[in-house]
Amino acid sequence: MIALLESLKTYIPFSYMDEESFSEIETSAQIAYYPKSTVLIRQHATLQSLYYIIKGRVVCQKEEEMIDVYQNHDTFGGIELIENKTSDYDYSVDEELICYEIPAKVFLALTQKNQTFKAYFFSTMVERMKLLKDKKEFSAIGDLMVSRVDKSILHEVFIAQEQTLILEALEQMDRENATSILVENSEGYGIITDKDLRYYILNKEKENLRVAADIQTYPISTIQEGELLFNILLLMTGHSIKHLPVLDEQGKAIGILELIDLLSYFSNQTHLVSVQVEKALTLDAVITAVKRVNVIIEALHAKGIKTRYIAKLISEINRKMYMKIFMFIMPKECREKSNFIVLGSEGRGEQILRTDQDNALIFEDTYEPEWLEEITQRFIAVLDEIGFPRCEGNVMMINPKWAKSLRAYKKDIDTWVDAPTYEGFMDMAILFDSMSVAGDESLHQRLKAYMIQKVQETKTILPHFVRAIEHFESPLGLFSQFISTDKEHKNQIDMKKGALFALVHGVRGLALEYGITLTNTSLRIKELNNIGYLSKQDAKNLIEALEVINTLRLDAQLIKQSKGEPIDNYISLSALSKIERDALKEVLKTVNAFKKRISHHFHLSVVS
Amino acid sequence: MFEKWKQKRNFKCLKEERFSFLFEEPDADEYVVFDCETTGLNPKIDDIISIGAVKIKGNKILTNEALHLLVQQKEEINHKSITIHQIRNCDLDGAIPLDEAIEKFLYYIGSQTLVGYYLEFDVAMINKTLKPMFGITLPNRKEEVSALYYDQKIARIPQGHIDLRFDSIVKDLALPNLPGHDALNDAVMTAMMYIKLKNMSRSKGALRRV
Repeated sequence: MIALLESLKTYIPFSYMDEESFSEIETSAQIAYYPKSTVLIRQHATLQSLYYIIKGRVVCQKEEEMIDVYQNHDTFGGIELIENKTSDYDYSVDEELICYEIPAKVFLALTQKNQTFKAYFFSTMVERMKLLKDKKEFSAIGDLMVSRVDKSILHEVFIAQEQTLILEALEQMDRENATSILVENSEGYGIITDKDLRYYILNKEKENLRVAADIQTYPISTIQEGELLFNILLLMTGHSIKHLPVLDEQGKAIGILELIDLLSYFSNQTHLVSVQVEKALTLDAVITAVKRVNVIIEALHAKGIKTRYIAKLISEINRKMYMKIFMFIMPKECREKSNFIVLGSEGRGEQILRTDQDNALIFEDTYEPEWLEEITQRFIAVLDEIGFPRCEGNVMMINPKWAKSLRAYKKDIDTWVDAPTYEGFMDMAILFDSMSVAGDESLHQRLKAYMIQKVQETKTILPHFVRAIEHFESPLGLFSQFISTDKEHKNQIDMKKGALFALVHGVRGLALEYGITLTNTSLRIKELNNIGYLSKQDAKNLIEALEVINTLRLDAQLIKQSKGEPIDNYISLSALSKIERDALKEVLKTVNAFKKRISHHFHLSVVS
Repeated sequence: MFEKWKQKRNFKCLKEERFSFLFEEPDADEYVVFDCETTGLNPKIDDIISIGAVKIKGNKILTNEALHLLVQQKEEINHKSITIHQIRNCDLDGAIPLDEAIEKFLYYIGSQTLVGYYLEFDVAMINKTLKPMFGITLPNRKEEVSALYYDQKIARIPQGHIDLRFDSIVKDLALPNLPGHDALNDAVMTAMMYIKLKNMSRSKGALRRV
């Protein structure tokens, strides 16, 4: 067999085929050469064959607009052939092409025979990503994200009644060698653990503690059987829970999940870091603990855990870290009369690696903090030490613009809305994505409510606000212009400018319009589905797109980090596998379609 | 003129009528690229191990009609050529006798123009058997890929030394590199070179006309 054809076998979807199918290809496929600028398939033309690119590049266009780009090892024409329709696009050679042409008849016969092969052409990008992930070998622990709690890791439940004598309950625990005992209350369970026993010993005389109900921790968090282990980990680390009852559908306890067992499932240090931060008695202890976060990210990512879950976990740790730093550095009065917020990607809970810091302080209107400059400088110095690069846009509390009274912020909002400028809108976007971390949370709530109300009253500014999505060119356009436009980043694309920004900002604009206070982009999309603006399928596609973008970006960033290079938003196209590129193309198409939708929704074509 | 006369003389020597098609006019825009793997580089003493051939029509390589013939050996293949071609003796299962291979080859090429890399050697290897069999040498027109390449290069760098090694040409023409190294793969690679070079000269001609 010709070696080129042989090599075809290693590429999906051809890797699904058996020897017999291959010999059919062998006896029918031809190698074709096309010089640059050849138009392979015209719009409305019928395709004669399936194309597999050995070397070269083909662009797919519709009325001058770039739809897709195909490169080495890519296949195109499949969907048109299977659906027996003419091409919607022009396919033309962008870089000298050497390709296989598999005759339509042979290709269709193969799809009839092999459903997996056929299904590939209709699979969504996430399914294609999954195929790729399946190919990578993960350790058994790898699919933790899909592991759910089941009885095997649970401890047996022991139950006491409200009126059970404490000593009786203790005897039972001792007999069964249990570390906790549940207390059945008229409504819900309580729990008695070592901590409650200490309380009992110390206070039994003084408070006349006698029955289980007197010392139980009540009410308590519980989870349903079948919950994702990862969510449980978030819950337990977020609230420092060591024993967690698992309930069946009827609400009856079927077992106790102990943190230590859960942790042995997750062979990483998330909990450890979380606890260390929480227990830290000095600022140095906080810094030491969170410096290990990057190692955790790598471990989680290597295990194939979805980036949005990693982001969730990391933002949980970061929140605790900020609370601690806030406590250690801010004077008591300041802590009570101000609100520490994080903004931008941190506010959305989407920052994984430390790419920059966006933070601000909101003060009560009557409060004028002393030593403000000194305090904020100290705060930022700590973040420097931990390894948060400073914000290029200077969105940091050391900037007086981002450390002021609620009234002053409201005035900003008025200006942004009444006298719109591009910079104003960007500030507004950053502030809209903010999340309260420490201090008086109500300040932040009031600020956000004010912003939403103001926008609701002046909806005409929304198109201007959203227009920034047109600021960066379509990334599919970027592919072809890449070599000439960005010499420093040859064959790379900027995921933030190219895809992420349009998605995040478009969703943000909709969130503003519909008064959605959630900050996380996935959650906003879900909410847009809940209120009926997005169909379930659209919402799913957008969340998938977000996931693919962030996964690819994180891949690239981790590689850069391991090489000690600065972390940016570029990904290298040549480093991507075929499926990753396929997935990326799908994503870019999804983002482009979303941009169009936004543009239509806000009538962007009529605002200038 | 001289060529024609030679061709006529060659034709007169043809022992078997059934191969007279070799002397017909070739189809325009159709070529046969071929390559032989041999036990060594001396046509006088070495033997053909395999023949790979593929047709070119316009800008397409008709891999679906490719020819790959393995030839039975009188002696065991020596170590040196095994390392070059990675054809071991056991790989020659399904091999056919040399004269049968030559006949098949003749029917395959017909009267088409032959294309090859250092074609002279491959043609000599075929002729060595063909002449005693049917009295003739290969009458087909021949095009040498390395010569085409040389002409293109020398036009651009008149004084330059031009690297005519197979792998160098593949690399310089930015062609995909095949992992395999047998007669058929080499023929396919040579076909790619040929098509690319033809296109390069065509576009240059077009430019000149403008």
